[in-house]
Amino acid sequence: MKLFIVIPCYNEVRRLAAVIQEVKSFGEVVVVDDGSRDNSYQVAQSQGVKVLRHLVNRGQGAALQTGNNYALSRRADLVVHFDADGQHQAEDIPKLASPITAGQADVVFGSRFLNVRDNNQLPFFKEWLILKPAIFFQNLLYGVKLTDAHNGLRAMSRKALEQIVITQDGMAHPSEIIDQLIIHNLPYLEVPVTIRYDEFGQGLLGGLKIIRDLIFGKINK
Amino acid sequence: MIYLPLQIIVSLFVIFVVFRLTKKFKDNILKTSEFVGWLVIWLIVLVVFWIPQTTSYLAAIFGIGRGVDLAIYVAVLIIFYLIFRLYLKIDKQQKEITKIVRHLALKEGEKEDQVEND
Repeated sequence: MKLFIVIPCYNEVRRLAAVIQEVKSFGEVVVVDDGSRDNSYQVAQSQGVKVLRHLVNRGQGAALQTGNNYALSRRADLVVHFDADGQHQAEDIPKLASPITAGQADVVFGSRFLNVRDNNQLPFFKEWLILKPAIFFQNLLYGVKLTDAHNGLRAMSRKALEQIVITQDGMAHPSEIIDQLIIHNLPYLEVPVTIRYDEFGQGLLGGLKIIRDLIFGKINK
Repeated sequence: MIYLPLQIIVSLFVIFVVFRLTKKFKDNILKTSEFVGWLVIWLIVLVVFWIPQTTSYLAAIFGIGRGVDLAIYVAVLIIFYLIFRLYLKIDKQQKEITKIVRHLALKEGEKEDQVEND
């Protein structure tokens, strides 16, 4: 099994090197530098991993799709999306990969809420005002049963990579992945993961922006 | 009629625009449908300025009190529609930019891989 770890990165010089070192042993690393203005690109290159560079910033969704394309061209069997900011834990990578290697699923999502005893130290406001409503609407809209709305940690099989194409350049791509998952009837699973919170991530405005992107994405096909 | 000076100025302007339109049409810059569309719009402007009662008449049909109000409603609708079209167009161009940027990134990446393999 050829496992690629795609790390989209935009001005992440602070944590990038450490993240790369942590995940390196789990698979082949591809960093997609999304037009960073700091020296993320040089930092990533100095870590001895593959680095692709967007000449201008195109958003996280766009960077992930670039990574997916590269992994496909290098005959990847499996791709894991991993954040560059240190939120995700490298130990979760095998957990995400194993259902795919076992043939149980083509897409595996990490979930913060699947295993409640692993207290994820989620900020109260973020959990009840943003995440829970988002999860509710996501399940309602797409007819899926997921316990979490996109924390960015996910694994995709080669089959899923061939069928799912991210066209949402911004932060609406996780919803798009679920949408296409349903269209192509791909089996999916969730596994519990731990997410570390240092910064707030996306606020309420970010959520509204995602909804706007999704609506226009549907109209403008 | 107190409107007279304005009517003359607008008429001259419309004549100028129509003249430019026909020239563009002859030079094959405008499609027939576009040419006719613009011609109709400017003729409407002419009619509205010379026979202002027409707008009141139309307004009455739509149940709006004044002709000027109708003109403003229609204008607002058209503007919203144009903004919507612009939004979609920008969105499409964004996607195209992404395609180009991705293509370049992957091409560069492949080049590096080949150099390493050589």
